[in-house]
Amino acid sequence: MRSPGLLKRFLITLTAMALVTAAWNVYVVLNDDGTISGRVVDGAGNPVEGAKVTLSERSLLVARPRGQTVTDAEGQFAFTGHRLHRLYLEASKEGAGRGSQREYRLYFKGQNLELEEPLQLGAGGAT
Amino acid sequence: MHRYPRWPVHVALLAVSTIMLVPFYWVLKTSLTGENIFAFPPALWPENPHPFFYVDVWYAIPFFRYLVNSVIVSVVVVAANVVLNGMAGYALTRDFPGKATTILLFLSCMMIPFQVTIIPAYLITSELGLLNSHAGMALPLSSTIVCIFIFKAAFEAIPKSLIDAARIDGVPDWMIVFRIIMPLTKPAIATNVILSFIWSWNSFLWPLVIIRDETMQTLPLGLSRFLSVVEDTTGALYAFCVMVLVPGLVIFLLAQKEFVSGLTSGATKG
Repeated sequence: MRSPGLLKRFLITLTAMALVTAAWNVYVVLNDDGTISGRVVDGAGNPVEGAKVTLSERSLLVARPRGQTVTDAEGQFAFTGHRLHRLYLEASKEGAGRGSQREYRLYFKGQNLELEEPLQLGAGGAT
Repeated sequence: MHRYPRWPVHVALLAVSTIMLVPFYWVLKTSLTGENIFAFPPALWPENPHPFFYVDVWYAIPFFRYLVNSVIVSVVVVAANVVLNGMAGYALTRDFPGKATTILLFLSCMMIPFQVTIIPAYLITSELGLLNSHAGMALPLSSTIVCIFIFKAAFEAIPKSLIDAARIDGVPDWMIVFRIIMPLTKPAIATNVILSFIWSWNSFLWPLVIIRDETMQTLPLGLSRFLSVVEDTTGALYAFCVMVLVPGLVIFLLAQKEFVSGLTSGATKG
């Protein structure tokens, strides 16, 4: 009738859950500066200077712009301090065309994001 | 050495288990893919699974607040069930005038559905000033007749001489229950914990009736609210279902051995 393992099982499981939660929170704190960085290129893969990059948010219900920036001479752009977990980036430049809006989904609000693939003007697709 | 081969039994059990687990698998799969649940033929394996629907749910509603409310109510219910049902179960193992009538009354009360008693329960809770509170949500589930009988069956399996010896030594009844009998009936306690936790965790109607403040809502109410606010989010909805299910499943899996043992202990004693 006695069950000495019951308390031990609960203790081990709850301790493991607490440790995982603590580790996850440490990871979040270290990676939630809200920076987004990337590049904008043209159809040939060359960096585009002066392209306008728009950051938008789309929650489960609504979509609205949250920021705008312009690329430098290397086609680089950066946003700081965003508090989003589901965001959209779109690049455009007068005369060079417009890229497709790309969706990025993050594990937590304000997660730092470095784009692996550059935003492409005149082409592109959903991510 | 068995007279007959056991593999057919195992195959049959495996097949039944698989059938039982298919809905859970489907919920989990849809929560990771957000696929169209009406698509035919349905995909057996998840295509491009990702955890982002869980993130959506976490931020779409005050999930943590609902979780805390559910945990508080469940902890109160579980603690109350173990203590009150333990005492009631012990009383039913003793001889007293009207014992048979009391047991009959308990059994007959089990046949009355909660919906029938919800108005008197509401009025009593209101008189006690417990509307819109955790204690008010926990009150009707604080003692359940099924769990009283589980304790009764477990207590009856303990030799009477042990209790008599304690009585001769002058041990009071409450100490006999909590210090001598209950440590010997852990499967019954585990059964009480699991059943009361699941009933409390899934309770919908009673919290819906007495809770008015949004911040006091529990997970089932949150799920209902989520459904009314968000329409076209199959993945997020299924993710929410998984998030509501997981705590109950974890507790059951941790104590399943004691749970089964507690349910069958009354049936196997000689």
